[in-house]
Amino acid sequence: MLKPILLVEDNPRDLELTLLALERSQLANEVIVLRDGADALDYLLRRNAYAERDGGNPAVLLLDLKLPKVDGLEVLKEVRTTPDLRSIPTVMLTSSREEPDLLRAYELGVNAYVVKPVEFKEFVAAISDLGVFWAVLNEPPPGSLRLNRRGSN
Amino acid sequence: MITADNPLAEAVERCAQEPIQVPGSIQPHGFLLVLDETDLHILQASENAEHWLGLPARELLGCALAELVGDGFDMRAHLARLPDDEAFPFHIGDVCLRPGAPWRDKLRVLAHRHDQVLIVEFEPVRLPADLAEQGDYYPLVRSFVGNLHLAASLEDLLQQSVEQLKRITGFGRVKAYRFDSEGNGQVLAEVADPGYPSYLGLCFPASDIPRQARELYRVNRIRVIEDANYQPSKLVPAANPRTGKALDMSFAALRSVSPVHLQYMRNMGTLASMSLSIVVDGQLWGLVSCHHDQPRPVDLRTRTACELLASVLSLQIESRESHASTRTLLDLRQHIVRMISSMADHDSVSEGLRDLPDVLLEFAGASGAAVISADRCDLIGKTPPQAQVTALVHWLAQRGEDTVFHSDNVRRDIDELPELADHVGGVLAVAISQIHSHYLLWFRPEQVRTVNWAGQPSKQVGPQGQLDPRHSFERWQEEVRGFCQAWDPLIVEGVVELRTAVLGIVLRKAEELAQLAGELRRSNKELEAFSYSVSHDLRAPLRHIAGYTELLGEIEGQGLSERGRRFLQHIGEAAQFAGSLVDNLLNFSQMGRSALRLSDVDLNALVDAIRAELAPDYQGREIVWDIAPLPKVIADPAFINLALQNLIGNAIKYTRGRDPARIEIRAQEHPDEVEVCIRDNGVGFDMAYANKLFGVFQRLHRMEDFEGTGIGLASVRRIIERHDGRVWAEGQIDQGASFHFTLPRPAATT
Repeated sequence: MLKPILLVEDNPRDLELTLLALERSQLANEVIVLRDGADALDYLLRRNAYAERDGGNPAVLLLDLKLPKVDGLEVLKEVRTTPDLRSIPTVMLTSSREEPDLLRAYELGVNAYVVKPVEFKEFVAAISDLGVFWAVLNEPPPGSLRLNRRGSN
Repeated sequence: MITADNPLAEAVERCAQEPIQVPGSIQPHGFLLVLDETDLHILQASENAEHWLGLPARELLGCALAELVGDGFDMRAHLARLPDDEAFPFHIGDVCLRPGAPWRDKLRVLAHRHDQVLIVEFEPVRLPADLAEQGDYYPLVRSFVGNLHLAASLEDLLQQSVEQLKRITGFGRVKAYRFDSEGNGQVLAEVADPGYPSYLGLCFPASDIPRQARELYRVNRIRVIEDANYQPSKLVPAANPRTGKALDMSFAALRSVSPVHLQYMRNMGTLASMSLSIVVDGQLWGLVSCHHDQPRPVDLRTRTACELLASVLSLQIESRESHASTRTLLDLRQHIVRMISSMADHDSVSEGLRDLPDVLLEFAGASGAAVISADRCDLIGKTPPQAQVTALVHWLAQRGEDTVFHSDNVRRDIDELPELADHVGGVLAVAISQIHSHYLLWFRPEQVRTVNWAGQPSKQVGPQGQLDPRHSFERWQEEVRGFCQAWDPLIVEGVVELRTAVLGIVLRKAEELAQLAGELRRSNKELEAFSYSVSHDLRAPLRHIAGYTELLGEIEGQGLSERGRRFLQHIGEAAQFAGSLVDNLLNFSQMGRSALRLSDVDLNALVDAIRAELAPDYQGREIVWDIAPLPKVIADPAFINLALQNLIGNAIKYTRGRDPARIEIRAQEHPDEVEVCIRDNGVGFDMAYANKLFGVFQRLHRMEDFEGTGIGLASVRRIIERHDGRVWAEGQIDQGASFHFTLPRPAATT
């Protein structure tokens, strides 16, 4: 069984477009969608609503930089300072080209950083590259490439 | 220090300690009674009263004054004329003594209150025969006072005064001298009868007048010694019964003087003298001294006229001096103002002063100056060598006391730096900031000066250890070395004022800078916040429009009309264009903020890379590239790449339709800059709009003809200006355009 991809995105349109991009990139992983940083931490740390959830860590964490309640950088920081979560590959998705954000994310140990391009085709390409690299190439065993996802509605 | 090894110093000090205001005796040309003012009974009397009254002084004690004078004299009524605040002997009237007294003529009565008693002096009316004709002094004094202000110089003023005083008193020689800061007196004016030696121009050493005598001269403006061979007449009893001490006769006209002084007079061949003090601003400025080779009386009326004259002279000198110091001050201020405005113009204290070397020197009347700041030391005019100036600044910093230091003799005052004296005589220094080692120094050369003393200024000690005044007043020359002209206290004050003004400027500048920096920080923050929100908030909806448009076309495209699909395409393109506008704008604002990372840049390599990168844009077109060997420059490679990319991209874009297109890139090396030129044979532009080319969002072509966001050339300008270069363009419609930029050449390779 492939580990799921955890996508944390608050903007519904970006969410839909990102899911479409993931769908087009033909990844087999399940995508779990969360809408804010607090929820993401609950999920990762198996707290509150997610205390009883199955499975281990996601294959890759796609994290929007600006999130309600707990923002992306804080989630990243928590992930990197929690021994059980530290090894989750984490990719920042953001509109921002601002250097301070970029620097801060690298300081906190982000694995990759994607500035969402305006053109959808480019976005699909960028997400595909990321997904292939982190969800597939880094994931033993490769398993099925069949699309199997949940939580996209 | 008074030590037994130095009998002369001891004698001089003893002389200065002599209680000359309480001599216990008087000169005998009149007599003195001390009265209790309440009952007008006699407390003390001078021994010589017997000569006038026919009664021994001892018998006078306790007597009422009324018993000693003629019936017509009402002392109370006369005393009523004595002003309460009058300190000096006041002529309250004339008196005849009691019938039977040996002295029958009228006596002048002078009274003053002092030492808790009433001191009454009696003196005969005596005009020397040669003056008997003079009559009233008033017209003489009036014309003198009237003419004083016409005197052209100080010497002229003093000369007029001594001539007038000689006429009034009939003394054989009258001279006026002025004291220097050490108390030596130089004779500036003199008039003398034949046979009297002349002292004009000579100096009398300070030790001629001991300090307590000097103080007495200051408060009591006249002193007469009618006969240097007089026999002093003692007061009986010696002590003032009210105080139990010897009577204080500071103001008494008849006060007896020091025997040393009488000896001094006799040595000088003078038997009578009168001294008038010139007091300026409360200080003893000088003296007029009248000498006669024979004993000579000076009548009260004469004395009064002389005193008045001396007062007028004092006031006149005071007004001249204050006028002169006002002019000096004004002059100093004008120099300060010029220096300050130059500092303000140059935005730098040191540069402002360096730019006005003459003003800096004139300001302090110096022949050399040095401006020392933390990182440099500038020498102006005649100064010691730089190493010595640096050592001097170090010495000043170590000394660290006051902000101002001045010396008119560096050999004497700065032991640690003896070599300074080889170059200068004196120095005036002010620390603008001791912490930052910021000093201004002025130098004056040594001035060898010859002093003509009136006799070798050394005193001898007599057998009893008393001072033995010198016998020779012959001219004795001394050469004084090592000194520069003394620093005027006004200049020293001016230097302090200059320092205050400079500090004011520096402080104000610091405040302005701090305020500017604060404003810049604020506006930078705002700009950053703005960029951030543009990048986030504007980009997201554009992305959504582009994304959904594309998806819509994909999923529902077949169901739309041809027109509908075209509209959809326009929406997509518009969103993408808006997105690239936002991106370009962000790049542009970042260019202004991020730091330049300078390194060697190979322009030819950059151009080649850009051509390769842009190849898709001119696929299928024929472009003739003419690229000359370009020099290496020092610049931020990423920024220069962006600038070249914009310029080459423009050349490719605006030559569209030319067959073949020609793009030429050349460089020209000037002495301090490298000029790069990119020329094309494209559509060109109207020079009338040349100034608009480099502005943000300025476009000279329609969008259908040539696409673009209007930020490219603005970015080029910003990049080049960040490198301290210039950028400009030349062109003509349909005749092509050329874009030029310069980059400063690194100093090392020129």
